[in-house]
Amino acid sequence: MRERSKRFNPITDRSSEIIAFLMASPDMPQDEELRFKIGLSVEEAVENVVRYAYDGGIGWLEAGTSLDHDTLVLTIELRDAGMPFNPLEIPDPDITLPANEREIGGLGIYLCKKMMDSISYRYEDGNNVLTMTKKLKNER
Amino acid sequence: MKGNIMDVTITKDEGKTFVKLDGRIDTTNADQFQHDILPLMGGDNLDIDIDCSGMNYTSSQGLRIFLMLQKSVMSRGGKLVMRNMNPLVKEVFDITGFSNIITII
Repeated sequence: MRERSKRFNPITDRSSEIIAFLMASPDMPQDEELRFKIGLSVEEAVENVVRYAYDGGIGWLEAGTSLDHDTLVLTIELRDAGMPFNPLEIPDPDITLPANEREIGGLGIYLCKKMMDSISYRYEDGNNVLTMTKKLKNER
Repeated sequence: MKGNIMDVTITKDEGKTFVKLDGRIDTTNADQFQHDILPLMGGDNLDIDIDCSGMNYTSSQGLRIFLMLQKSVMSRGGKLVMRNMNPLVKEVFDITGFSNIITII
């Protein structure tokens, strides 16, 4: 098991930097499809924290990756001290509605649910902790 | 931080508007992309054909903008077609139901 994390403080306007840090992790796969799906989920999850967690105020985000070398399961963890908020409670968008009734809310976290193998949330020691996992392929 | 590349080429020919997208739409450039396609949201752009072969990524931020464009075109009685979509980008449109609200060929 290898783990790597970094606390970004403050996070205002820094989502692209935080996403780049996670995607540059040595735990990330090279496979194009996996990188696409993980990269999209990372972007959506990080954006949620940067935009909403501190409600316009100043705060930090701890972003980490870990890879279990036996199971090849990649774990991405995002931790913040913002308002307690479980993004998994956002209702899934109704993807059957016609364009004029569609709204954009909830699409980001819905994409994370679909692109990753698992996504979970817990509130721990005053922090929001979002954990996403994806099984990688053996590339070595 | 500098935004990623998302080039927009617009060609008008006999009442049709052809658009070519090259790059990726993400958190670094979605606002710029929205600005760049603003000309398509009005005027006589009623028949819009978007070549997506050069678009290799979009997040929900890009979907938001495509939904705005589709609503704009529909409200003016026009039509929007997106073609040659990369399979991974297509999957994003499929998963979110956007394949049902925008014509993708």
